[in-house]
Amino acid sequence: MATAISYPHTEHRLANGLRVVISEDRLAPVVAVNLWYAVGSRHEVQGRTGFAHLFEHLMFQGSANVKRGEHFSTVNAAGGTLNGTTWCDRTNYYETVPAHHLATALWLEADRMGGLLEALDQANLDNQRDVVKNEKRQTRDNQPYGSWLDHLHELCYPPGHPYHHTTIGSMEDLDAASLEDARAFYETWYAPDNAVLSIVGDVDTSEAIMLVERYFGGIPAKGRFPTPPSTEIAPRLGGQVRRTVPDRVPVPRIFVGYRTAPFGTSEFDAMQIATTVLGGGRGSRLYKALVLDRQLLQPSDSAIVDSWPFIGGASLTLADLPAREGVDIDVLEAAYHHEVARLAEGATDDEVERAKALITSQWLHHLSGVEGRADTFSQYATLLGDPELMNRALPAWLSVTARDVAAVAGEVMSEDNRAVVTFTPDLPDEQEAAA
Amino acid sequence: MTLVSSRPSIGSPRPWSFPAFERRTIAGGRVISCHLPGRALGVTSLVIDAGASSESIGREGVAELVARALSEGTSTLDAYGFAVAGERLGATWRASTDWDSLRCGFEVPVAEMAAATQLLADAVKDAAFDDDTLGRVREERIDEISIELSQPAARAGEAFAAEVFADVSRYKLSDGGDIASLEAISHDDIRSFRAERLGRSAATLVLVGDLEAVDVDALGHAVFDGWDDTDGATPTPDATPRRRGRRVVVVDRPGSVQSILLLGHDGPPRKIDDYVAMTTMSMVLGGMFSSRLNMKIREEKGYAYGAHCGFDTRKYGGVFVARTSVQSDVTIPALADTVAEIERMHAGGVEPDELEQARAYRAGVFPINFAGVMAVASGLGDLVVNDFADDHFDQLRARVLDVRKDELDASAHERLRPDDLVTVVVGDASGFVEELRDTGLGPVEVVPDEG
Repeated sequence: MATAISYPHTEHRLANGLRVVISEDRLAPVVAVNLWYAVGSRHEVQGRTGFAHLFEHLMFQGSANVKRGEHFSTVNAAGGTLNGTTWCDRTNYYETVPAHHLATALWLEADRMGGLLEALDQANLDNQRDVVKNEKRQTRDNQPYGSWLDHLHELCYPPGHPYHHTTIGSMEDLDAASLEDARAFYETWYAPDNAVLSIVGDVDTSEAIMLVERYFGGIPAKGRFPTPPSTEIAPRLGGQVRRTVPDRVPVPRIFVGYRTAPFGTSEFDAMQIATTVLGGGRGSRLYKALVLDRQLLQPSDSAIVDSWPFIGGASLTLADLPAREGVDIDVLEAAYHHEVARLAEGATDDEVERAKALITSQWLHHLSGVEGRADTFSQYATLLGDPELMNRALPAWLSVTARDVAAVAGEVMSEDNRAVVTFTPDLPDEQEAAA
Repeated sequence: MTLVSSRPSIGSPRPWSFPAFERRTIAGGRVISCHLPGRALGVTSLVIDAGASSESIGREGVAELVARALSEGTSTLDAYGFAVAGERLGATWRASTDWDSLRCGFEVPVAEMAAATQLLADAVKDAAFDDDTLGRVREERIDEISIELSQPAARAGEAFAAEVFADVSRYKLSDGGDIASLEAISHDDIRSFRAERLGRSAATLVLVGDLEAVDVDALGHAVFDGWDDTDGATPTPDATPRRRGRRVVVVDRPGSVQSILLLGHDGPPRKIDDYVAMTTMSMVLGGMFSSRLNMKIREEKGYAYGAHCGFDTRKYGGVFVARTSVQSDVTIPALADTVAEIERMHAGGVEPDELEQARAYRAGVFPINFAGVMAVASGLGDLVVNDFADDHFDQLRARVLDVRKDELDASAHERLRPDDLVTVVVGDASGFVEELRDTGLGPVEVVPDEG
């Protein structure tokens, strides 16, 4: 299978520090704009969890020359789609528009990068606070198993670590957020020299640069940014941590988390292959052993094990193990750990080849659309400092050997580096213990 | 001034039309191929006239079981072997049913499209369907439904369908069936559905991607050689509504922090004269961020993360449904706001600027929506299912560009039926059920949540 996949691009830096990545793709008359700010939930201060995400909502409430609601309506009326997302390390905003509307998308992004405070008011904050609280209720509090990720973050990262809490934050902290917090957060982190702007699609690079200069060039650089809260952390948990969560759920379900080296390291790359051998696809070991042979695990189209890319001290590798009806949860957990331990004893070349073929086509899929490619250029430029590293990701995965897979599985997915969260149907109270 | 205050002028739109494709008959089977230069990942898939709406009452969900069992092993490969064979090619298998079709196939690097298509052919012609496999697939599906129904939104959808459609209608259950219907399905039912519905005359092979080096004829032969025709017509479902008039079903989940609200009624099938007017009208009401429902419920009141509505138009029937998930203490005012917006649209139609906004979005977003190979394959499948002409999507876009306000207003008046609203609320009934009886939404039935 072809492995020489490289996406050409050019990189530019405006005088105000804004980094710009442009990649021409003429396959369809559309263009994707994806703007990453290097600020996420790990930059939040004590008592303000969830603030980075709440702030993302405020970015859609108008700015100097854009009325409330106009950001969405303008992009939609252009035949475009848009949204924003917040995660631990970053916040991003994006539009995909018919190519002749590129200037509109850039103008909108520039207006809120440089002029949000002119529109920010208490009514907008109060409204979006309610919206976000309802987002939390809808996606977490009113969902069976909805709190699973909060438990994993709490167990895998110690109190005080910026990843101890998840991006959605707590109701109390959302209630406490003030207009002054929003102004301060914006003035601290939202600036051209803390952002990467990627443009991918049916554009001419020099015309695109001209437009970026026109709309972003006048926004002043911030120059200095405060040191974010320390993410220093031991590379491993140093023990097994367990938590049982009685909940209104139909069947027991186990989530396992492991501290893993940060995004951009060879350990993280090797884990991508190892988790795919173990739990990616129906040809994976866990699928065969737990779904097909022993019928302990409920199948789904998602990977059973995955690694998430964080840069602050340690990434998170996680497994999602919903039990089949009537299965003894201890039997499921033991069978899972048994397969993990077996991987540490060795993987075959065939297994690794399957994983690489799957990862290659998943990567192709992820980058096949202009949105995914713009997002990924911004990701590598923001988190690792260089968009070209995106083109080196696949070769790095393909260089992982069967020996590397066994070694990294043994190193990362070991008993003294795991957090186990077990949801049980309607048990009385929550227990926590370090073993 | 650091910002440019004036809005950019807009260049002229670049031409766009739905990608060109070819229809052929190969080995007696229908093949559609769409060559998209530069697309290294392609799709090889079958669209089969074996959707859930053709299931018999009491055996709902059998089509989905058939779809799942196709990849569970053949006479030469077991389930694991079949999975590994595909994944070694970098191919991702997807199989599922909707109301009007069963679709299965691979997304795969085009260099491996021939090998993947051979696996697809093996799946549809040679899948083993042995007792052990069918038993496991059925039990997995039953467990999956019980997990799904523990989610309040899924529970609401189930209650809504059951109240909207009569017992004789296939549409009274979800397209995947329910636990009772799945428990009633025997292994022979699964084998019979496959034997009666899956076959050369019911199938179309859809190939999308950079097909420069792909031998389309050979792929057609791989799939259709030696595949028997199905015999007879596909049964059509009854779409009779349960009754007329407003009524409310509350699914009581004590302790819920939100209430799921679903409001709607039965609706027309896909092929109607006012399809573009009706669906553009429903975009104004609840089909985009700037819609009336989202602006009212989310951006004005802050009751919810979002509010949406739309028509689900199937080949033989459909529904209109508005949905949101609101914090429990505003259940009654959120219901009142939702009903008021539906009534206002029914009575007064759209404003000219609302139509222009929806029109611009809907017409403009075609190139984005059809930029990927999966989306193009899915669009081609929709042509097959509905017997649309080859220029369907271009015609649809042209119709969006010229649909008039009076057409939307007439459609709003005819297609939205506020007097027939079925309201489903899934939440903590103790907080709102007494007030709910006085809202004019009709008789209230409260049922416990069994999930």
